[in-house]
Amino acid sequence: MNLKDYIESGIIESYVMGLASESEKAEFEQLCTQHPELVAARRRFEEGLEDYASKQAVPPPPEVKVKILEVIGHTDPRTTASSNPPKIVNMENSKTPVRSSGLLRFIAAASVVLLIGMAWLYYQTMQQNKDLVNTNDRLKVSLDTTKNILDRIVQEQKQINDPNTTVVNMVGTKVAPKSSANIYWDSASTNVYLVVKNMPRLPNNQQYQLWALIDGKPKDLGVFDATDDKVILKMKNTQKAQAFAITIEQHGGSPSPTLEKMQSLGKTLQTQ
Amino acid sequence: MGIPTTYTEQELVLALKERNNQAFGFLYDNYAGALYSIIKQIITDNSELASDVLQEVFINIWRKIETYDQTKGRLFTWMLNIARNASIDTLRSKSYQNSQKNQELPDNVYKGVANQTTQQNVDNIGLKKVLEKLKPEHRVLVELAYFKGFTHEEIAEMMAIPLGTVKTRIRNALLQLREYLK
Repeated sequence: MNLKDYIESGIIESYVMGLASESEKAEFEQLCTQHPELVAARRRFEEGLEDYASKQAVPPPPEVKVKILEVIGHTDPRTTASSNPPKIVNMENSKTPVRSSGLLRFIAAASVVLLIGMAWLYYQTMQQNKDLVNTNDRLKVSLDTTKNILDRIVQEQKQINDPNTTVVNMVGTKVAPKSSANIYWDSASTNVYLVVKNMPRLPNNQQYQLWALIDGKPKDLGVFDATDDKVILKMKNTQKAQAFAITIEQHGGSPSPTLEKMQSLGKTLQTQ
Repeated sequence: MGIPTTYTEQELVLALKERNNQAFGFLYDNYAGALYSIIKQIITDNSELASDVLQEVFINIWRKIETYDQTKGRLFTWMLNIARNASIDTLRSKSYQNSQKNQELPDNVYKGVANQTTQQNVDNIGLKKVLEKLKPEHRVLVELAYFKGFTHEEIAEMMAIPLGTVKTRIRNALLQLREYLK
């Protein structure tokens, strides 16, 4: 190899500036051990580079030196150097062995405070959890009830809208001209529903009683209160009815209607 | 007693290997500026990050001084390469890339780099100032290789020129650089 050509190939600069490939580096280092003039040429370039870089120096912020001295002052590199990874990943680690006892005391105290805090937080959370479970149970019961009611209403609504259902508009009598209610009577299933529209309140010892009039004879269909205003009531079933009547009876109802107290009457289209 | 205010390179290396804090202070005072300059030429847009890297570099020098081999080059060359490598590592770190992602789309990352290298002439410092004297096609290659840390293969690919041409141009550029540094 012509050493002069090699020196002039740019390998020295490439090597010094860290741009040479691994094989170029190995070759260069090998040749340096044999050719002092190669080493001299390398040194010349290195010195030129160093001089130039020194002239172009930019003063770093002063706190950097303080931080560095702090880190290296707290490390004994003789014990760590050999096992150190080539890169410093975490500066915190290097400070660990020299934490002051004051700091340790602070950490201990902080740990106790933290522990108490955690215990309190745990208790609070458990308490809150218990409350939430209770509330949840109550809501569930409430929801179930509501759902049952809704199911019933939907069921009844379906019933009312059924083509087999006859709607009987109960109108007031002379005794009670304002009384009104609707009867929904399903002739197929024989279910009878009653919706109170307007029935005056009764004394506690009295109730309204619904009757079906079949071939001139009354049939008891159950009692209800005026307070059940606007709620659909399921009454007793009847297969037949030419008319429905509502009377005021003693609490619990009577075996036969007190017709002079008939509040409301409605005729069906059913013939005898 | 007898604390030297100045060291020959030989003495300095010896003192550093003996973990002499005084020598380390001397090393810092004499070289931090030059190394900070090279770091800032690589990490151009974030002075705070650059000083973090400088800190990391000096701690590395302190820890790795045992591995410094005088037969392979001067102390400054060794330190300069530590500083350059640390800067390029930072430049390529995920967190740095993430902070830059609004500025460069992955598709044209190479173009982005090439543009940056030609546009930054205005505030060039240090070695970059010397690079200005090179032909643009040489300068870009040195910028990419030295200041961005791309391998010759990567540069050949991104610039769409043969690998041999990349090597030759970089070598020629470095030879010119040597003349300017003389």
